[in-house]
Amino acid sequence: MLSPLNNMPSKKLDFGKSFTELEEIAEWFEKGEPDLDKGLEKFERAMELAQVLKERLKQAENKIKEIKLRHE
Amino acid sequence: MQIMTVSGFLAYVNETFKAIWDTTEVAIEGEVSGYRLSQGQWASFDLKDAEALVNVFLPVWKLNVPIQDGLRVRVFGCPRVYPKYGKFSFSAERIEIAGEGGLRKALALLHQKLEQEGLFDSARKRPLPRFPERIALIASRESAAYGDFIRILHERWGGLSIDLYHVLVQGEGAPVQIVRAIHEAGRGEYDALVLTRGGGSLEELMSFNDERVVRALFSSKIPTLVGIGHERDITMAEEVADVRGSTPTDCARRLVPDRTELLYALSHLQEGVSETFLAKMVEWTEQCDDVVLKASRWVATLSERITSMIRLFQSFDPRAVVKRGYAIVRDRSGKVRTSIKGMTTKDKLALEMRDGTIAVSVE
Repeated sequence: MLSPLNNMPSKKLDFGKSFTELEEIAEWFEKGEPDLDKGLEKFERAMELAQVLKERLKQAENKIKEIKLRHE
Repeated sequence: MQIMTVSGFLAYVNETFKAIWDTTEVAIEGEVSGYRLSQGQWASFDLKDAEALVNVFLPVWKLNVPIQDGLRVRVFGCPRVYPKYGKFSFSAERIEIAGEGGLRKALALLHQKLEQEGLFDSARKRPLPRFPERIALIASRESAAYGDFIRILHERWGGLSIDLYHVLVQGEGAPVQIVRAIHEAGRGEYDALVLTRGGGSLEELMSFNDERVVRALFSSKIPTLVGIGHERDITMAEEVADVRGSTPTDCARRLVPDRTELLYALSHLQEGVSETFLAKMVEWTEQCDDVVLKASRWVATLSERITSMIRLFQSFDPRAVVKRGYAIVRDRSGKVRTSIKGMTTKDKLALEMRDGTIAVSVE
C-alpha cells in the first residue's frame, strides 16, 4: 500500500526515511526480482518519492531560535 | 580587656586577612596534591613545598586551568578560616600554571588521563544523521564562527530548526556555561549538537580543553560535532566529539548535505529506477514471448503427431478399401468370410459395399 505522500504537507515529510525508501527501491530494481505487479507499484512509488523530495529541497528557510540558559 | 565570641574572632581574622592581602599581586606557588572535586561545585587541593602545605579551595566555575596532582601552580586569592570548623585555608580566585610549558604539560597529563579512560576511543564515535532537522548550536552569537556556520548552513540546506545556546567561549565562567548548555540541550530532542568557535591562542582555547566540557560532550546522548577556527593544536573537545570539523564552516558542511548535490543524487536515483524498470519490462516481455514461442512450438509438434496418427488410423480403415471396388463378405452371423471353404449352395451372405449392404445367396 502506498502512503498518501501527495497529501502530506512538506513539513511533515521525513526526508531521511523517504530518501532511504527511494534508495531501497533502486536497490530492489538492481536485484531484479521478476514480479511485474510489484515492479509497477514500486516504480510509481519511486517517481512519487523523488518528486516530493525534490519539492522539499526547494525549501530554503532555516529557523533560528535563541535559547536562554537557565541559571542553576 | 576585650572579650570576643568565637564567631566574632574568626570574622575579625578573616576581615583582617582581606584588608592586608593583595589578591591580584600576591600569589602562592607550590605543588598540587590531593586534588578533588566535591558536589561538582567545589575544587580543593593541598598546595605544598618541601616543608609546608596549605589547603586551597575555590568554586569550580573559577577553575580556568586543568589541575592535576604534581602540577606546579600559582594561586591568587585570600587566606581564610572557615568558621564552622575553624579550618584555615586559602580561598583561591585564580590559578596559573607555573613554569615554562606548564600549561602544555598540564594538558598532556589531562589528555593522558582521559585517553586511558577511553574518552577518545574511535570505536564509540557515532555518525551524524544524514539529514538532521533539529540542531542544538552552542556558540557565541557575536562570533564570526557563528556567522560562518549559519551562512554555510543556509547555502547548503533548508528547513532546519536551529536552537542557539549562546555562551561565552573563553574567559572566566565560559566552561561552566558551555557545560550547562550541553546539559540543557541534552534534554531537548535534537538530531545533532554542534559546539563551535573561532581560532585563538592556547590560553583562549582553554574552555575547549576543560575537563568538564570534555566529559559533558562525552556523556551527550545527542551526536556531537565540534570545530574551531584553523589551529595547529587540536583541543580535547574536538577529540572527544563524535565528528570533528576543521573550522566552523567545515562543521556546517559535515552537518548537512548540499541541496545541489542531493538534487543531482535524486535525479540519478530517479533515472536509475526508470531505466532499470524499463529494462525489466523489456526482459519480462521477452520472457513472456519466449514462453509463448515455446508453447506454440509444442502445440505444432503435437498437432503434427496427431495428424500422422490420424493418417495411420485412416490407412487401416477397411472402408477406404471398399471405396476402391472391393466388398466385405459376411455370413448370417455377421462374421467376415475370407474363404469359400465350408460354404454351400443357398447359403445367405451379406456384401458390404461403398454405399450400403446387399444380401446374396450362393449358387
